[in-house]
This record gives sequence, structure tokens and C-alpha cells, in this order.
Amino acid sequence: MTLRLSSAPHLHAGRSVSWRMLQMVIALLPVTVFAVAAFGLAALATLLTAIVACLLAARLGRRSGEVQAEEASALPTGLLLGLSLPPALPLWMVALGGVVAMLLGRALFGGLGGQVFPPALVGRIVLQAAFPLAMTQAWLEPFAAGRATALPASSLALPLMAPAGGYPIADGAASLAASRLDGGGLPLGDLWLGQVVGATGETSALLLLLGALYLAWVRAIDWRIPCSLLGTVALLHLLLHGLDPARHPGALAALGSGGLMLGACFLATDPSSSPMTRRGAWLHGALIGGLVVLLRQFGGEPEGVLYAILLGCALVPHIDRWTCPRPLMPSGRAHP
Amino acid sequence: MFASRPGLSGGIRLSGEALPRPPLAIRQMSYAPLLSLPLGRPGGARLLPVVREGAELRRGDLLARAADGCAPALHAPATGSVLRIGEQADANGGRVAVIQFAPFPGGTQEYPAAPGLDVEASEAAQIVAAIGAAGICGSATEELHAHLWQALERPASMLLLNGIEADPPSRRQAAVLHSQAVELRLGLRFLLKALGARRALLAVEEGDAAAAVLLSAEGESLPLSVHSLPPRYPQGHPSLLPRALAASFPDVASLAELAGAPCLELATVAEIGLLLASGRKLTDQVVALAGPALREPGHYRVPLGTPLRFALTEAGLDADVAGVVHGGLMRGEALATLDTPIAPGMTAFVALRAGDLPAQPPPLPCIRCGDCIEACPAQLHPAQLGLLAGKAEWRAMQEQFHLDRCIECGCCAHVCPSRIPLVQAFRVAKAALGRLPARSLEPLA
Repeated sequence: MTLRLSSAPHLHAGRSVSWRMLQMVIALLPVTVFAVAAFGLAALATLLTAIVACLLAARLGRRSGEVQAEEASALPTGLLLGLSLPPALPLWMVALGGVVAMLLGRALFGGLGGQVFPPALVGRIVLQAAFPLAMTQAWLEPFAAGRATALPASSLALPLMAPAGGYPIADGAASLAASRLDGGGLPLGDLWLGQVVGATGETSALLLLLGALYLAWVRAIDWRIPCSLLGTVALLHLLLHGLDPARHPGALAALGSGGLMLGACFLATDPSSSPMTRRGAWLHGALIGGLVVLLRQFGGEPEGVLYAILLGCALVPHIDRWTCPRPLMPSGRAHP
Repeated sequence: MFASRPGLSGGIRLSGEALPRPPLAIRQMSYAPLLSLPLGRPGGARLLPVVREGAELRRGDLLARAADGCAPALHAPATGSVLRIGEQADANGGRVAVIQFAPFPGGTQEYPAAPGLDVEASEAAQIVAAIGAAGICGSATEELHAHLWQALERPASMLLLNGIEADPPSRRQAAVLHSQAVELRLGLRFLLKALGARRALLAVEEGDAAAAVLLSAEGESLPLSVHSLPPRYPQGHPSLLPRALAASFPDVASLAELAGAPCLELATVAEIGLLLASGRKLTDQVVALAGPALREPGHYRVPLGTPLRFALTEAGLDADVAGVVHGGLMRGEALATLDTPIAPGMTAFVALRAGDLPAQPPPLPCIRCGDCIEACPAQLHPAQLGLLAGKAEWRAMQEQFHLDRCIECGCCAHVCPSRIPLVQAFRVAKAALGRLPARSLEPLA
């Protein structure tokens, strides 16, 4: 009889890194299905390209011993990236975004757990900076005829070449800005249910919220971050809308539009690039929420969520330092 | 939001299915052919034998007494003869001085008649001396004798009775509560008198509340109030119990009052009641033998010095046992050998099959999820401590992140998704800092 030696504790809660990643994918499933339904083949091709690119890049950038966890985490990253891109974006750009996300956003920062910014966000922002024209014109109308049978010409554009037929919505920036910012007079129902022009998986705020509720329920994300982020945005918009209704949309329109819901629920909550303590989570959400309103309502870009999260994540080391837990001391001795 | 709250933050809820608890009934274990009694006490006190090899003794006769100071004495666990006084391997691979004792086969094992102590007629100092003379040690974390001697100088205002098991799956405290009510009431009266305390608080888990209430209701009135807490590990740890109680019952006593009160386990109180009233000595103790590798898990009254292998075999040890843990599954140590005697204070063992031990995949890097911070009942920063341990920054661990306040409860490693062996790293760090045994036992406020 040989006895196995092991160190306490001899019980484990059973939740692994891969489990967390799987929950992420499950939470994104409803919105993924909706995206494919709304934008057809274009959405499917975008999502698959992003996922495959991320998986391949993860294989390239992995360190030994972390194969499974690295690849498990490439799946939600690819999915998130695909969901945040315009549906008719040339697929080679999507693939480039995936590689940038996994290599620049993650592997170079030390791989699993090392990322300073959510990798999907890094990929998205590099694409935004490199291809401003495509990123503002490759949009599609939701539920357009023929979406299930044909890919838009722009999706299949050759690398580094302008697409033969141009982008689907030439005045994309204008229509997008209109539909995103002041709601463009869009009914709130359309905005929350995804009947608008938008990124592949950003249009249905309701389904995104549903996914986030699931993640919070299984405790795979810290619910405090989206709560405080969305709460701050809602509060500031109530205030601004009250002061100047013509210029600033109301709280519900602001929450339902653009990339806010995806960013608040799935990007800002990335464990490795968000604060570790509860107090830090509240602070992190509120900071990003404030930046979102500032960049959206007073900035030059049509969408500010990505940059707000980027700035918020840059502050995380400081937030972690400010909110470091204070240990319990024996009674009668003062805190340090 | 930024002030520290009085409640017990952190801790974990352990699910029942993952943790089969042994039944509560206490059964008597038979005598092994050879009993080995270590000549040391938890805390390092040495005992000097007062018998020669070959001496024939009755159950409860004195075997050894403290070399210096006031460590509890050691008595013959059975009627039999002293076989040998020498050295033997211990569970950790070292060697310890022991008295090997052979019970007479077929002996009746009756106690010789002895005068008991009467609560009303005895003084506090008399009771304290009797507890030591009876060989009662208490558990490793209790500091029973320190509390007793301190109270002789300065009486305690209240007594905290701990009916919550420190480490699952043992249910020793509950087993004692359910089957030793008479002894508990007696022990409580002895202790109140010895400590000079006017009242006692009993903390139990919700499931045991009914039995605990009977304790104070039956028979003579005792200054005892019962408080039940929802199950949450590790609230039974003596450094955390005052905090858990103060949070749930703020009007009963202040946190400072609770933290200053001696905190004793029910099993110790029952032992005191049983032995002092009857004039007997400590010859056996209640031991929880649990785990799926036992056909008859349960709580056994085990003669001191019984070899662990004998005790486990009596409880139906399966041939496919893959590991035996001394203590509980959250804090206990896996044993390298079963050829070790059950000494006073060794009160729980868990026998596991290969499938019951958690897989130990190579740890992944920290993903900074913060689950460990939420789980830490001492409000430390396990993730940061773990990172520092990986870089051997022992001094920073202590000076900036208060490593010495870690009670090694295992909550952080239990929830870690990356399976980082945090507790192990902290033990290494404490050893490197030269403060290995300095587990934080002072009540945390």
C-alpha cells in the first residue's frame, strides 16, 4: 500500500481557468446566434475567421505547459473580437485583428493572466486605427434580403486591396453616428432588440445583458463592474439629458446603443485586466462609465467605449494599490 | 464602503455531497495489542517516565509527568504492562521517545475506584490542577492550560464554547453534543468556576441547534446561551469565531469581549466533565475516522497510543486506500505512514481512495480573478502573496502583506482556478522567515 502525499487543502472548488472561458462562450451564444440571424453569412464568416485566427495565434504565442488554458482562452477572445467588428469587414482584416489580439494583446504581455488590456479590445483598436475607412463603412442593414445566401463583396476583398465594389454603406460614418449617438430618433425597442445598423454582435443590448446576467449568476465575472459602469453612464445621461435634451440622449438610449453593453459586460470584466478587489471593481466601473460619457458626448469619435475601457485598464495597477485589502489584526492592535 | 466591517468576510461554503460526514454516534474501539505513548506534548513540553520497563499498571495509573512546568500528565490507557521505553518513528519521519504499553488480553479494563471532584466544594485552583493531573490537553489550537492559568490571575468575564468543527468532514463537536450532554453540563460548571466566568456562549451550526438548546434547558439552570450560525468554513477557527458571533449577534456581546474570552471546544469540555467528576484520568479520546475508504466511518472512543493502522482497520479500511489525511480535508496533512500512534490531540483522520484526492495539474499563472481575496477570512491578499512567494520575496510578504496573519485555512487554494498551491507557498515562506509554528491564533478583530 502506497500513500499519496499532497498538501492541504485536499478539496477544490472545481472551477478551472478553462471553465471560466467556457462560461464566457456560453454567455455569448445567444447574441452570436442573433448576429448570424441578423447579418447572415457575413456575420458567420467574420466570427469564424476571428476565432480561427485567435486559435492559431494562441498556438503560435503559447508557452509550454499552458496549452489547454491558452487555447481555451483564445476561443472567447476570438468570439468577442468578431462580435465587436463591422459585419462586412474584409476577412483578412478580421484575421489580422485576431493575430494582433493574441500576440500583441496577450503573448507579449506574458501570456495567460499577463494581459494589461483585454486582448479582443487591443485587436479592435488596432484595426480601428489602421483601417478607419473600412471600420466606418463596412456595415450592413440588419435582416436585409439575401443575407443567408451571399457574402458582401467587401468581405472577400484581397489583402491590402480596396474592395472591388466599395463598402456597403458609403455614408456609414454618418448613419452610424446618427443611429448610435442621439438614437437618431430610433425607437428604444429597435435599439435594445438589435434592429439597427451596428457591429456584428453589438446590436442587441438585451441579449448581451442576458449573457452578462448568466455570467454574474455563475460567478464567472464580477457583477460589480458592469453594475457600476452602466449605473454611472445611466446617471450621467439622466443629468445631461435633463440639462440639454437636444444634444444628449436619455439614459435608456445611451445604454442600448453602440458597443457599450458588450464593452461593459464582456471587455471591462476581463479578470486579468480588471481590479482584483470588490472596492476596486466598483471604482473601475465608475471610472470607465465616466470616461464613456465624456468621450461619447464631447469627443470627436462616434464611439468612445473602447478608448474608455483602454484608459480604465491602464489605471488598474493603481486601483489595485489603492484598494489592497487591509488584514484583520488581533484585537487591541491597530491597523498598520 | 471603505471601512472594515465587523462581520466575518470571506470563507467558503462547502457542499455536503463532496464531503460525506461520518455518523454522530460514538463507539468504543477495542484495544490494540500494543499501545505507543509519545513522551511529548503538543507545544513541545517533555514528559519524564515514572515507571520502569516491565511494570504492571492499572488503567489510569501514572506513566509520566512533566519534566518541568505544568504540562498535563500521562496515564496508562489500559490495565497492562510497560513493555519498553525507547524511541519510535513518528508520522513525519522523525523519531520520538515513547512508552510502549501492552494491555492485558482479556482484562476487564474497569477503572479503579477514585474520589471525584465536587463542583460546589472545590476551588478554582483545585479544578485547574485536577484538569492537568487528569492529563487533559485540549486541542492544538485551544491553549486550554494557558487560559486556565491566566484566569487564576485575572478571571475571564465569559466563556466561549466552540461547537463548530474546525475542519471538515469530522463532526466531533456535534457528536459530543448529541451523546454527552451530562458530561458537557458538568464540564461547563467546572470550567465556569475555574475561569471565574459568569456566563457562557455556545456557538453551533444550524443543524445542531436543537441538541444545543436541550443542553441548557434540561436539569439545573446554567448561565448558557446558544447561538447558531449558518455553515461557513472556517468560522469554527478560534481566531474567527468571535468575529462571526459578533456579526450575527451584536446585542449579545461586543467583539472585544468575545475576542478576549477563552474559546474551548465542546469535546474538551465533555472530557473535563467526565474525568473530573469521576476522578478518572485521560485514557482515551473521541476520534473522528472519516472518508470513503472506510467501510464504517464514525466517531470512536480510541485508547491513547492506539496505532493508526489498527484504528483504521477496525473502522473497515479498504485495500484501495490511496491517502490518509490527519485532521480535515481543508487544513490536514497527508500522512506518509500509518504506523504512528494516535496521541492526545490527534482527533480526526480521513482515509481517501485514489479518485477522492483532487487532481493536481501543474499550476497555471495567476489570472488575477480575485477569488482568493474574496475567500480569505483574514482579509489578506493571497494572490499578491503568491506572486511574491514565487519570487522568494519573503520579507515583503511579511512586512507589506502580513503573512503572519494567515491562518492557513486553505480557502484561497480551494477556489484558485489556476490551482496555485498558495497555502504550501505560504508555509514555505513562513519557514524561510523562521516562524514556522507561529500560526496566528489570536482572535482577529
